[in-house]
Amino acid sequence: MTSSFKAALVIAAKDIRSQFRKPFEVFAMFLFALIAILAFAFGMGGVVDPEIGSAMVWVIIFLTGMFGFAPIFLSEVETGTLRGISIAPIPAWAVYIGKVIYGFFMMGVVEIFLLPMTMLLFGFAFDPFDPFLYAIFVVGTLDLAAVGSMASALTMPSESKATIFPLVYFPTATSAIILLIELTRGLVVGPGLITLGFLLQLLIGHLIAMITISAVIFQYALTS
Amino acid sequence: MRPHRIVLYLITAIIGVLYIYMTWIYAPPEATLGESIRIFFQHVAPALTAYTAFGVTLICGILYLWRQDIRIDVLGGASIKLGLLFTTITLLTGMQWADATWGVPWNWDPRETTTLILWIAYACLWVYRASVNDREVKAQFGSIFSIVAFPAVVLSYLSIHIWNTLHPIVITPTGLQMGIEHGLTMMVSMITILLLYVILLELTYRVDSSEEMLLEYRMTRS
Repeated sequence: MTSSFKAALVIAAKDIRSQFRKPFEVFAMFLFALIAILAFAFGMGGVVDPEIGSAMVWVIIFLTGMFGFAPIFLSEVETGTLRGISIAPIPAWAVYIGKVIYGFFMMGVVEIFLLPMTMLLFGFAFDPFDPFLYAIFVVGTLDLAAVGSMASALTMPSESKATIFPLVYFPTATSAIILLIELTRGLVVGPGLITLGFLLQLLIGHLIAMITISAVIFQYALTS
Repeated sequence: MRPHRIVLYLITAIIGVLYIYMTWIYAPPEATLGESIRIFFQHVAPALTAYTAFGVTLICGILYLWRQDIRIDVLGGASIKLGLLFTTITLLTGMQWADATWGVPWNWDPRETTTLILWIAYACLWVYRASVNDREVKAQFGSIFSIVAFPAVVLSYLSIHIWNTLHPIVITPTGLQMGIEHGLTMMVSMITILLLYVILLELTYRVDSSEEMLLEYRMTRS
């Protein structure tokens, strides 16, 4: 168990190191997010209600994920390294968890820059001392990395990978996105009928379910 | 035609006639909703049948990964199509009912929205399966996708309990929240639509299996 988890960390570290050799990719994700902010701001006539602006954060992160999570496994297919990973003496779930950690790291880096930018341009503010804020962003990003990695793995055998990835990513990520939008809106304008604690519990439940199910069934994707 | 199939068709036809009678004649107008309650019977049963169809797809996905039997995957694929059909009926009758009750066909109510998401999610699964050429890989990855897509069904079902909604909560842990005539009519509509689903599933499965055999034959010849 411990050695498998170490293997997951090694895979994540390998991907992060490769990413550092191509820093323009993370910057490209950030630019894509910025373009999305501008597009939404144009669509709403330049004046964005804080309630809508805060909800938009996750819509932009979701769209950026379409751009960022797709290569998680597809790059392994393109470079021909997938076979090496699949025959390595480590359990399949360790490969999946390694990719989730890498996806979480990559999206986390983008969010560090994206979040202040979104608050500034959309004119709303989160309380930086609110522990809920950090819990929501950590759990939410981990959840999106979990479903994004699985979506990338599922896209591998498709004949039209670029078209299919968003179609796989959307159904798996939507439940989390809806909860995240509710949570973030609650942070800015106050909770509605449901407490933020309950929504966060639902989100954590979703994360645990997605990671567990994906880790268990991932071996079938890797052996195909 | 096999005898069990004739019996199933006959039972469905008899209950179907009863369903039409109960929906349009037996069930009285509701105190608040009036005559529009009749749309309700055409709306709830397809919705629950769509959940059942996607549940069958989930079970087929799990079973395929366990047994690696292509027939299970064909059945799961057939159930996706029927789930989409019944979700489409649910959305259309829901819009009709919303228009009659609230004056607008679509108002982004949580149940409406999550049902649309459900339709899109399984349409994506359908398109995804079509985009994979290798038959076994399609079954393997399609099964995985059907498992990870299932939370969309859970979200759609639980949406009226999570969010504030215009949608009435009829099915509760204590039973059906409606009068006896309406409750009976809804039960008959449920049975009819479920039987129709079973018949359609069997027919779709047979057509899809024949297509599979034809494809295999062509592959062997080429």
